[in-house]
Parts: sequence; C-alpha cells; structure tokens
Amino acid sequence: MNTRKITTIQATAILISTIIGVGVLPLPLFAVQEGGTGAPLVTFLGLALGAIGLVILTQLGIRHPQKTIITYSEDIIGKWLGRFCSLFVILFFFILTGLTAREFGEVVVAGVLQETPLEITVIVMLLLACISCRNNINVFSYIHNFYLPIILAPVLIVVALSLKNANLLYLRPIIGTNLPDMFIGTLTISALFQGSFIMTIIIPSMKNPNQAIKASLWGISISGGLYLLLVIATVSVFGTEEMKQILWPTLELARTTAVPGNVLQRLDVIFLAVWVTAVFTTLFSSYFFTIYSIKQLLHIQDHKMLSYFLFPFIFILAMLPQNIFQMYEFIKFVGRAGLLITILYPGLLLMIDFLKNRRLKGSASQQT
Amino acid sequence: MRHNKHSLVLVLVFFLLLPLLSGCWDAMEMERRANVLAIGIDEADEIDQKKDGEVAHLKDSFLKPKGKLMKMTVQIAIPGRIPLGPDQGGEQKPVLVMSVVGHTLEDALINLQQQIADQVFLGHLRIIVLNEKVAKRGTKRLHDVLRRNPEIRRTAALVVSKEAASQYMKLMPGLDRVPSLYLADMVDNLSALGRFPPSFIGLFWTIYSSKGQEAYLPYLTIKQKGIIELKGLAYFKEDKMVGKTSPLEIGVFMAVKGDSEGGYGAFVQVPDTDEMVMVRVRSRKNKMKIERKNGLPHIRLKIRYECEIDEKASFKMKLNDSRVLKSIEKETAKDMKKSIEKLIAKTQAAGSDVFGFGEHFRAKLPQYWNSEIKTKENWARAFQQLTYDVKVDAKIHRVGMKAK
Repeated sequence: MNTRKITTIQATAILISTIIGVGVLPLPLFAVQEGGTGAPLVTFLGLALGAIGLVILTQLGIRHPQKTIITYSEDIIGKWLGRFCSLFVILFFFILTGLTAREFGEVVVAGVLQETPLEITVIVMLLLACISCRNNINVFSYIHNFYLPIILAPVLIVVALSLKNANLLYLRPIIGTNLPDMFIGTLTISALFQGSFIMTIIIPSMKNPNQAIKASLWGISISGGLYLLLVIATVSVFGTEEMKQILWPTLELARTTAVPGNVLQRLDVIFLAVWVTAVFTTLFSSYFFTIYSIKQLLHIQDHKMLSYFLFPFIFILAMLPQNIFQMYEFIKFVGRAGLLITILYPGLLLMIDFLKNRRLKGSASQQT
Repeated sequence: MRHNKHSLVLVLVFFLLLPLLSGCWDAMEMERRANVLAIGIDEADEIDQKKDGEVAHLKDSFLKPKGKLMKMTVQIAIPGRIPLGPDQGGEQKPVLVMSVVGHTLEDALINLQQQIADQVFLGHLRIIVLNEKVAKRGTKRLHDVLRRNPEIRRTAALVVSKEAASQYMKLMPGLDRVPSLYLADMVDNLSALGRFPPSFIGLFWTIYSSKGQEAYLPYLTIKQKGIIELKGLAYFKEDKMVGKTSPLEIGVFMAVKGDSEGGYGAFVQVPDTDEMVMVRVRSRKNKMKIERKNGLPHIRLKIRYECEIDEKASFKMKLNDSRVLKSIEKETAKDMKKSIEKLIAKTQAAGSDVFGFGEHFRAKLPQYWNSEIKTKENWARAFQQLTYDVKVDAKIHRVGMKAK
C-alpha cells in the first residue's frame, strides 16, 4: 500500500483550514490592543514571523522526509533530549486543543445559544474531533479539503459587504505609535499561526516532500492574507477606539453588515454557523497532532485508542479557566510561550542538523 | 447468538437517538417571545419616580445606582397581528405599548419582564427614541447594556425627539401598519434620499468612541397626529447632546462632512433682481487639507456643488441665458459659503466637532496629535480654536424641461 498520498494542493488546504480557526474572532482586537492604528502592520509582522517558523519546520521536514519532529529530533539532539523536548511539544498542543474548544464554547454561549450550558457545546465539539481523529492521515486530509471553501467564503463575503461602511481615515497613521507594544502584538498574532505546525506530520505522507515548501508558503500567505483583510476591514469600519470595546470585532462586523436589498439584516448567525466548521478543522488538527505525536513518541502502532483516552483530560483542561477574561489572558500567555516551541525549537534543531551534516560531510571527504 | 447481537445493536441505536428527542436547548417558540420593536426613553416625572419597581434592588438592602429614574416605553409586537403581506383585514392594533421605569436601561428591562408573561426579546428592536432631555443629560448609561446584549442589532436606529419619547411609541402613522417599522424605515430612507447622513446606533458608538469627532443623531418632532418630521441634526459633545441645527443645515453639515449624496434645495436670489430660484444640490465633492498655522489647527475646505434649478418663483423673470445661470451659480456659492461658516462657528462655540476634523489631524499629523492632543477633551478645546478657509464652487448643469 502506498502511504504517500497527499498532494501539494491538499497540503496547502490542510494548512489553510488549520490556521483559520477560533482566532478569527478576537484577532482584530489583539492587533488593535497592542498596535492601535498600526494593527494591519502588526498583523503583517505576525504573519511574517509565523511564516519564518513554518519555513524552518518545512526545511527540517524536507531534510528528513520520512520522519516528523518527534522522530527526527531524536536523531539530531540525541534520543533522550529529543524525547524530552517532544514532551513539551505534545503538551503544548494538548493545551492548545483544550483552549480552542473552550474559546469556541465561550463564543457560542455568549453569542447565540445562551441557555445551553458551556460544557455541552465544548463536549460536542471535542467529541466530534475525537471521533474524526480515529481516521488515518489520508482521511484527515480529505476532511480538510472538503471544508476549505466553506471556511474561506463567509469571511470574504462579510469583508466585501462591510466595506460600504469603511472609513479609510481610521487606518492612519499606518505605523502605530507604541513600538514595544507592537512587538508584543506581533508575538500574539504570530501565535495564531501555530496551527501550521501540523506540517511536520504531513510531510512524511506527501507524494512529493520537496514541494512542501511551496505548500507552506501558499498556505500561510492565503490564511494570513485573509487575517490581514479582516483586520483592515474591522479597523476601517469601527476605528481603533471602538474596537477596544468589542470582544469579537469580527463577529460584530458580521452583525453590522447587511446583505443589500433587505435580504438579511445581520449576518452574524450565518457567520457563526459556518465559523463552527472552521473551529472544527482547527480543533481536529491540533487533536490529531497531539495523539499522532504521542503515538510516535511511545512507538505505538495505532493512534485510534489514544483518541478516546485523551478526551476527558482535554475536556477538564478546557474547563479550567474561570471566566472569559482569564481564558484570554491564558490563551495569550500560552500562545506567546508556545512560540519558543514552534519557532525557536525547530530553529535550533535546524541549526544543529545543518552543522552536524557539514561535519559529517567534512569527515567523509577527509576519509576518501 | 447472532440474533442477540442484532437486537443489542438495535437497543444501542435507540439510546443514541434518545438525545435527539430533547431538542434544542435554546428552542423558543415565536409566540412565547415578547418581540420589542421600539424603545422610547424619557426622564421619569414626579409621579413616575415613585413607581420604582424594586425588582433588581431593594430599597434598603441592595444599593441602587444614583441619579434619576428613567421611563422606558416599549412597543411590543402582538403575535399573529403583524401584517405580513398586503392588507389582511382586521382593525386590531398590531402592537402593545407599555411603560416602565428603572434606574438604568437593564433595570427597566427587568421591570418590564416582571410585568409580561413572555420572554422579552430584543432581536427585532429597530429604533430607539431618546427624549431631548435624556440626550442632554447624557446617554452614557444607555450604551453599556445595548453593547453587551447579543440580541441588539448594531444597525438599529437611534434618534432624538423633541416631544416625549412615549408619544412616538403611541403614534399611529397612516402610511404603515406597524408604527415602529414606519419610524425605522423613515430614518433609513432619509439617508438614502440624501436628507440625512448615514446614522445607526453602531455608527453612533463608533464616532462616540473615536477621539477626533463627536456624534450626531437625527432630531425628530411630531407635526400633527401621526406625522413625524426631521427637524434637524442633534450634535453631541461626548455623550451629551449640546445643540441642534435647522433642517437645511443638515445639508450644510453633509457638505462639510463629505457626503456626496445631495438632496437639499434652497432659495437663491438672482443678482440684480428681487427674484428667487430654487437651487437643489445633486451631488457634492469635498476636498480637505489640514495644516498647522501659528501653532493652531487650520483646515482648508474646498467644496464643489453640482446643482440644478428646480423652480423659479416668479413669472416676470426670464431664465434662458447662460450669463444669468453663471450669476446664480456665484450667488449660490456665496450663500453656501456663508452658511457653512456659520455652522462651523456654531459647533465651535459648543465645542462639538461633529464634522470629524479631529480624525483628519489624528490620521495625517500623528506627531502633532500625540504631542499636543491625545485625548478627546483636548481635541474639543483645540477645535474651538481651529481656523478655517472655505471655498465653495457651485455649478448648475440642469434646469429641467422648461425653456424660459
């Protein structure tokens, strides 16, 4: 059986639908809180930082086309140190999965289903991801491909229709005023691109691993472009000061936007209904990454059983934050700290791998 | 054995289907909801002051917010009586009008819920009418709950009324079966017709939050029974209404603000005669340059009008000459310039930058803004010292189908 089935386009689609997720809603607020009118610039810098991390990871993957970060880290920095670091990677994505589910539940409970208990929305979503995770990586990629258009379309429609209310003055001055804050903002935003780490388990299943870098760049620029569009649209409609008062500016944008001709006077319910799929694919990816990595770390044959085993732990983790503010403080902190894992750690690995290879080559040429 | 397994699966499937029976947690039947279509807010008078509900607080044990009570009058749709298509007969009133008092809007809404059986639902709220007195006292205390509640539409209309807001709730305009829908449509259509700049509650919040501009709302008054008139534009300083303009000044305001949709017309005297013609604005173009002059903010405004002549008010005068048209253009421009300067001076005196000049300074001169202005209060002060040059250019291209 040929296990290398994922094409370059499929890999791109997985990246896009993984990156676009719950973050879509608070993203403009994060950008404005730290960057003021420089929010689009902050988003762009965050995107660039995220892209650098992804390129590093992809390079590593291309150098070790049969392995993921869990397995090649053992080759590069030694068996035990590698496993120790992998533990952190897994833990990070485990936390990310829980927080994604919680953030989803929090939005649904505040925005639409006010009577439904938070636990129910979180359980349902987690269960969905949990059951889907029992599939192999090919089905994983089909599911992502299938949902991609549904994820992109509503955001684009809302942005296009909202531009009627836009005021370009709100976007100026383009370079914000407070540089240290902008730097923190850049870190927060690039944390939203951490889902791209999924690339490391895709590469071993790609038909043509050498094309992985192409898939990475396309994936991150399409999803990042969408994020950028969203920030520009929300800032130009609301202005920075009003946005600081809104928890989910994107949702508010959908609420302000009407389809012309009195067809729909507010788009938020439709937007939310479709946004659920975007959350699902993100959750699906991080869940899948967690159990797939545990499987590789422990050298288990099959990851299916792990899926149910992790479920209660993720659920408990999701329930830990006491309220929405605590949750966002936690998310921002975890996201920024996670950059050490998703950018710095692969960066170090790549450097060591590179030096090691050169030494190997050097000693090989000396011998001949 | 095989049979047993089969039935076991069947039983399991039944258990799986069981949760579906419970239905949606948030299921709510339409007729179990009290759909609030419009809210009117007044200050409570002496008699109403005593009606304090003690629902959200007790007189002694729970503290209550300071300040006067407000009176909220709501229009609630009666299920089944909202006409959906063309006349469905029946002379029953489609809405129920109720009044409650409260310390805050949410307090009033809680008091309202205490009085009706169905759950209050604000998702169909189309218009909020504020009495002039409430607007002058400050609208701050209303906005929090409106922003927080996910049911509220950001596109709902917010207007200021001369009369008590409760009167607007009781109005029965002849043109529409549902009074509040007529009111809301009126506000929406006014901006489509170029009678008023775009105005809805979300926009009000956006402007109110931003540092370099002040909010404005339509100012309505009741003419005769059931007839409402747009009487001007209420301008705010922060959350308090500080003044209003005349209806024609709305057009002037739109010109300065840069709205291209024309709609207003005015009488212009034809030079060297006593005769008047009605000149109506079709569209406008607005160019604004900002700078600092002697340390003070300065704007140079250039407005170009495209007009048409709708009517001449006398039979004696002939209007068939391009030279006459030119002179009317000049006269129009002169009149417009005067009224623009007058309006700017008026808002300057009130310290209310409804035109949003401050936003231009914030956006284009960030250094000046960050070193000297920074806050809304500072800008209000700087705005009062703002100097301006206004240049108006009027062009008349159409005169209709009459040759003379």
